[in-house]
Amino acid sequence: MRAIEARSLTKVYPGGTKAVDDVSFDVEEGEIFGLLGPNGAGKTTTIKMITTLARPSSGSATVFGVDASRSPEQVRQMLGFVPQTISVDGDLTGYENLLIFAKLFFVERGQRKARISEALEYFGLTERANDLVKHYSGGMMRRLEIAQALVNRPRLLFLDEPSIGLDPYSRMQVIKQIKELNQNFGTTIFVTTHDMNEADELCDRLAIMNLGKIAVSGSPTELKKSMGGDVLTVTVSGGLPDSIPKELGSTISSEEGVVKILTEDGERAIPRITDYLEGKGTLVESVSLSRPTLDDVFMKYAKAGITQETSFREARSARRSIVRHGR
Amino acid sequence: MTSPQHLVSSVLTIAEMEARKLRHDSTELWMRAVQPALWLLIFGEVFNGIRGLAPGGFSYIQFIAPGVLAQSVLFVSIFYGITIVWERDVGLLTKLLSTPSPRIAVVVGKALAAGVRGVFQGVMIFALALIIGVNLRFDPFDVAGVFIVVVLFAMCFASLSMTLASFLKTRDRMMGIGQAITIPLFFGSNAIYPVSLMPAWLQVISAYNPLSYVVDAMRAMLLTGDYSSLPLDIFALVLSTAIFIGAASMVLKRLIE
Ligand SMILES: Nc1ncnc2c1ncn2[C@@H]1O[C@H](COP(=O)(O)OP(=O)(O)OP(=O)(O)O)[C@@H](O)[C@H]1O
Ligand SMILES: [Mg+2]
Repeated sequence: MRAIEARSLTKVYPGGTKAVDDVSFDVEEGEIFGLLGPNGAGKTTTIKMITTLARPSSGSATVFGVDASRSPEQVRQMLGFVPQTISVDGDLTGYENLLIFAKLFFVERGQRKARISEALEYFGLTERANDLVKHYSGGMMRRLEIAQALVNRPRLLFLDEPSIGLDPYSRMQVIKQIKELNQNFGTTIFVTTHDMNEADELCDRLAIMNLGKIAVSGSPTELKKSMGGDVLTVTVSGGLPDSIPKELGSTISSEEGVVKILTEDGERAIPRITDYLEGKGTLVESVSLSRPTLDDVFMKYAKAGITQETSFREARSARRSIVRHGR
Repeated sequence: MTSPQHLVSSVLTIAEMEARKLRHDSTELWMRAVQPALWLLIFGEVFNGIRGLAPGGFSYIQFIAPGVLAQSVLFVSIFYGITIVWERDVGLLTKLLSTPSPRIAVVVGKALAAGVRGVFQGVMIFALALIIGVNLRFDPFDVAGVFIVVVLFAMCFASLSMTLASFLKTRDRMMGIGQAITIPLFFGSNAIYPVSLMPAWLQVISAYNPLSYVVDAMRAMLLTGDYSSLPLDIFALVLSTAIFIGAASMVLKRLIE
């Protein structure tokens, strides 16, 4: 049975923003599914509709065959949700956070205590279990949130940018724990992220979303393959021509004198591109050749959404989440 | 649909959550007892000297003790709308609403917690009344009755406040509306002066003011022992509590949309 079937999901916010625009996709039971996309792509809105927190303007979502609009409570019984901003209760202890949410998920009384101490142990929080959560570090709060999933054992777990604000070690830890949750309990995982390395490592399948639509989906390997050929990273000085001829390849990105070009056969393309650019009066400083990474895939499909404006917004939302941590 | 056991257990869990927070930090609880204490100790004592201010041969401080209790419960419970907006701001509300527990459980649980705070206010005011020698009818049934009214009243206004929060959505606006509701309700009621002293237009307002009914019910139990209007008072209170709980459960989701 499919964990999620989304059909023509659409969300128009009261202000008129079409945050999600006719999106359909499936998530198979037991897989780790990644939804990637630039800021404002509509990832969180998509999650909110499936978790019954927002009502779709049109379209439908089913979770393990149960319609989210018709039986929201039944759907929520199968879900865990780790929201984008940290949302543990700072005025309770770590233990109490797990206890209260276990009760709200109707975890059987006989199993609660054992599962909670197991989860605290597993996430390395046992020693701090009786401290108020507002005195935890951001990483500990994140771990506590994921620990809730280990107590409640949802069939489907949503993680909205789980590694945001974590140091590289904590991030690695969290990724490992998510994977183990998936392997040991068969939990289906739906994760959003901006980090392509993370997505590559974690996800069985992923979809790239941009401007409310899914631009492309597939396994990380498929997506990289679908780019075809090689990526040339060319460092230049002097002005660049507006474009390069199609037969030489296509530009993925171009920033501050570094141009990434996708070509079919990189080795042959190096001299031709160098010649072409120098013919146009551009000085080529270096060229390197690599296989396409998920970053390149992301840049190709999400390009249109990344503008100056969204990077301002990113800064703002990062600041907001810091402010929230602080409280 | 949620089974009745699940509903009850969710309600109790939400209330437990609030109670645990109060146990970790009860400063606010004590701070909130200061204001009613001042009303009794200063306002009450000053006007106590004026004979005949209170009807039925009671002293003024006896007369306002139930009024001060009702007022302090009102102030405590109207605060719940601000709390829920704050919980929305820190993401906690999203988390609560993503659990399988029904929405109404969140509302009733929080409202019950308001009731618990109200009972605490009651205990403090009674203790103070005993200390300064205010003569109230401390009959166990009457005191229990007062606490039932306190809990209902707190639940009623906490739910009203959560309903308003779902439309107003920001803490600043909720602060504003909190003031705009509580002050007129307080001064437009029989809490600190008898209806007979009010100008005619205020008497009309007071007759429709829910706070007046609450104060009436409390006075009946704590002072006069005349229970004739009690059934009506309590019926009105139960009805409006049910209405506001229903309303808040329906609109609460607006906060996170
Ligand atoms: N409550 C809301 N009311 C109005 N517009 C909203 C609301 N929430 C989101 N939007 C808009 O909908 C669009 C999609 O937002 P969403 O939060 O789903 O994006 P996202 O992909 O999760 O972005 P990010 O990576 O920054 O978290 C954005 O343009 C955003 O401004
Ligand atoms: Mg988001």
